[in-house]
This record gives sequence, C-alpha cells and structure tokens, in this order.
Amino acid sequence: MRKFALAAFIFLLGGAFLPGLERDASALISLEKCTLCHGKPEFRKLLVGGAIRDLFVTGDMLEGSVHGKKGCTDCHFDVSEIPHRERPRRVTCTHCHFKGNKEGAPQSDNVLAYFDSAHGKAIARGNTKAPLCQDCHGSHAILKVKDPASKVARGKVAETCGKCHMEIYAQYKGSIHGAALAKGVAEVPSCTGCHGEHRIYAHNDPKSTIYSTHVSEQCSKCHSSIKIMGKFGIETEQVATYKESFHGVANQFGSRTVANCSSCHGVHDIRPPDDPLSMVNPKNVPKTCGKCHPGANPNFAVGKIHVDAKKKESGIIYWTATFFKWLTIGTMLALIAHIFLDMYGRTRRLRGER
Amino acid sequence: MSRADLAAGKVIRMSLLFRVQHLLLTMLLTVLAITGFALMYHENSLAQWIIRLEGGIHNRGIVHRVAAVLMMANLVYHVFYMLLSREGKPELRQLFIGKQDIDDFFQSLRYNLGTSKEYPRFGRYGYKEKFQYWGASAGIVLISLTGIMLWAEEFSMVFFPKFILDIALIIHGYQGLMGFVLLFLWHLYNVHLHPSVFPMNPSWITGKVSVDWLREEHPLEYEKMKEKGLL
Repeated sequence: MRKFALAAFIFLLGGAFLPGLERDASALISLEKCTLCHGKPEFRKLLVGGAIRDLFVTGDMLEGSVHGKKGCTDCHFDVSEIPHRERPRRVTCTHCHFKGNKEGAPQSDNVLAYFDSAHGKAIARGNTKAPLCQDCHGSHAILKVKDPASKVARGKVAETCGKCHMEIYAQYKGSIHGAALAKGVAEVPSCTGCHGEHRIYAHNDPKSTIYSTHVSEQCSKCHSSIKIMGKFGIETEQVATYKESFHGVANQFGSRTVANCSSCHGVHDIRPPDDPLSMVNPKNVPKTCGKCHPGANPNFAVGKIHVDAKKKESGIIYWTATFFKWLTIGTMLALIAHIFLDMYGRTRRLRGER
Repeated sequence: MSRADLAAGKVIRMSLLFRVQHLLLTMLLTVLAITGFALMYHENSLAQWIIRLEGGIHNRGIVHRVAAVLMMANLVYHVFYMLLSREGKPELRQLFIGKQDIDDFFQSLRYNLGTSKEYPRFGRYGYKEKFQYWGASAGIVLISLTGIMLWAEEFSMVFFPKFILDIALIIHGYQGLMGFVLLFLWHLYNVHLHPSVFPMNPSWITGKVSVDWLREEHPLEYEKMKEKGLL
C-alpha cells in the first residue's frame, strides 16, 4: 500500500511538470475520489416531496461521450473539497462553450437563441423546472446529435421532450407522425421538426414556427414536397388547395382566427382520415368544423375539402369551372368579333351617307 | 320635355330615377369588382396592394358585402319600379326580346359583312340594349344568389352539401368576370367607343340625347315620337 502511494505521488509530481498530462491526471484523481461515494449504486437522496434523486455516477458514464476526457470538477467546478458540504450548483455549460474558449469546446449561437426561447425565458423568470442544456442533451452521457443513441437524436428527441411534456408526448405517440417515428421513418417530424430546436417559442409568439399564420408554411415544408410525400403515397396538392381556399387566403393576409392546417387536422394528435379518431374522419368533420362554424352538420363532410377545380377528379366542380371558363372565353371572342364587324359596317355606312 | 330642349335638338331618353339607379349600379359594381377581383387574384401584387388599401382581408369583405347589399337593394327597387310604376311598365314591355330582335341581329350581321344594303331599323331599344339589359340582369341575380349563399355559409350548409358551395364560389367568381367582360366589350363600346356616340353618350348624366342621334340609331322610336307630336 505504501508502495502504491509512493508511485502515485511520483506520478502526480511528474504530471505537475508535464503540462499535457496535468489535466488528465487531476481528473483521474478527482474521479476516483468522487466515486468513493457516487460510485455506489444505492447512493441516492430522498427529497422532501418523496421523490428520489439518483446520485449514482461512475467514470464509465462519461466513457464514449463527447466529454470522455473530462473529469467531474471540469463541469462541477464549484466542488472544491471532498466530501462537498453543499449541493453543487447546476452545471453551466457556457463555462466552456463560449466563443473563443481555450478548451476548443464547440460553440454556436444556439445558446443565445436558447436564452430568447420559451425555455430560456422561463429559466430567466426563475422557473427551476425549465430545462437547461443538460436537461435535453443529457448530463453525463452527452453524445453528438448524429449519434442515434443521443438524447437529442432525431429518433430520441420526442422521448426527451416527453420527460416534461408528458401529455403531449402521449398524444404524439398515437399520431401518424409518432407511429412513423416508432417505425424508424427518417423523414417524419418529431417535436423539433415543427417547433425548432433551440428557437422554441410559445405558440402565440409571432416568432414561433407554429404561430397561427406560420403553421401552413411549416407543414408545407414536407407536405408540399413530392419527393418526401411520394414515398408515403400522400398527395401534395393539399397545401396549394388550402392556400386557394377562403381559409388559406385569409391566413396569408394575417388573419389569426381563420383555420390553419392544425385547426382541422389536429396538433400533436394528427391521424390519417380513415382513422376513426382522426379529426378529419368524415364522421368527426361536423364536430371539427363546428369549433368555428356553430351548428355544423354532416353536410360539411359531403364533398372534398381540399378541392382543386382545375383537376378532373373534382367531378362536377371541375366541369362547372370548365364550362364557365369556356363560356367566358367564348363570350369575349364573340363580343370582340362583334365590335370589329360593327365598326367595319358602321364606317361603311357613314362613308356611304357622305 | 321642355321647349328649350327641343329647340336645342335634344330629347329625354333617361328619366332622373333611371339615371340614379344607373349611377348607383355603376358605382357599386366598380366597388364590387375592385374588392372581388382583389380576392380572386390575391396572388397578384396589385391585388395585394388593393387589399392593403382596403384595410386588410377582413375589411375587404365588409366593403364588398356593404356594396353588395346596396346593389341588391337597387335591384329590388328596380324590379318593383319596372313592374309597378307608370314609367317602368311600358319600358319593360319594350325590353322584351321578340323575334324581331333576332331578325335584327342577323340583318345587322349581314349588313356588316356586306351581303345586305339595309341596316335594321331599331325601336326604343335595339338588340344591343336588350342583350345588355337581360344579360346584366341575369348575371346580377345569379351573382347575388351565390353571394348570399357564400356569405351565410353556415345557414346554406344546413341545406346544401359542401360541394354545392364550391360550385357557388366558382359561379360567383366567373359571373363577376363575365359581367366585367360584358361591361367592357359590350356596354363601354356601345355607349363610349361606338362611332355614333364617341367619346360618350351623355344620356346617363343629362338624360338627354340629340334628336339626330335618335333618328339615326333608333328610327322607329323617332317616328313614333314624331307621330305622337312629341318632337
């Protein structure tokens, strides 16, 4: 044991004079010290409310993460003595992740965007339940976004958001988007697909991607793309027909009370029309329309909603439009011909009289 | 008809009440066309400018509907005036389309093409006026009905399925376009650009036309007035 201590002492001393190794060495020490307590699986704290805070952390947890080479006190830098008397403060990522940092920690303006977002503002107001970086990105096992196992990876982020937004996550899981995500469809939107990542704003904030006048634009990012929709056999004309409708035109001119995509199709619980739970299932259409049009009856479901008068499939609507189109063109041509004929005859008549 | 008018070679063609109805119709149709086409062609930047000028999409609708109500009131008044008043009844009789009008149309066509030397002789209203009158009337009735349907959409859908309203919308839009075409290519030609009236037939303002014009364009009416000793 004495020999080991001596070896450790020499190793430490050597480390102190080798700048490259210094960090790793101290980190190793502190990790060893920390895990004296935190390495025990049963190390946890019973909170006042009856909840349990798990305090079990081992060195393996950092292994393979982006912070694989960091030690405990690199982030928990307010811990200066072990055992620490007070609860360490929540980790501030911007301690390293700021512009021009010497650690070489990646930095982007996302942190600034975050402070402006609904989450960042809730933190600023003093809401302790609002998420900080680590609540979404993970605390010890932070992985790159592209890693499918990352908490913020495309397939995982809904679950991460769902930790707090539980009801919405449950709705989303039952929706067509949630079902497709579970199947591993790469194109399907999870939470961030519609709400954004760091720039998440409340739905009634005009900056939000899901503000009432932005919804159709947000949905159309995917739903007007033949490339994406073609894979799933979904029509893309819905976006164009909406924009041509009374609802769509009013929406484009800034009306906030008029129906947008989600007013009829739902928000987190969007389901395909043949699903009996879908808001746009013909059986549910009267109820859905009735939200804005009191007394809506089954007549609202008779006839296509997203109707395009220029397409033959629209039946009688197409034929009415075509009839009137040619009637108008025919009338125009006939009247122009009549004008020229009349002018011609009239000039002859006037000339003859003179 | 005053003596001063006759001395100046003028004769009344539109009474004051008809001029008021006509002026109202002119102004209201202009408002309806501007607000309506702005919505119909909302993707056009000029249309968007007009909508902004009208105070946004919501106010545009209000302006359109106020003008529509006034126009329909004008229409109802006109119908009653034509059916019941002393002045309206004979006017309406002279506006009915008969076989003579169809003959006149083909006669004028033959004349204009040079196969006949005789130009048809019109009464108070020739086929041009009658076509304008009945075409505009039918159009206004149709556009009013579809417009009311679309305005009271919740009420209409108690009776009609959604696709009927889609059809109503198409008819409403195209009817507006047809009315516009008819006004520009027919009415404006006949009362402004036609060589006999250029630059304008003044009767819609003064109510009067010259006796010479009447003799030239509506000889049968001229002769009738002469017989009655009105000229």
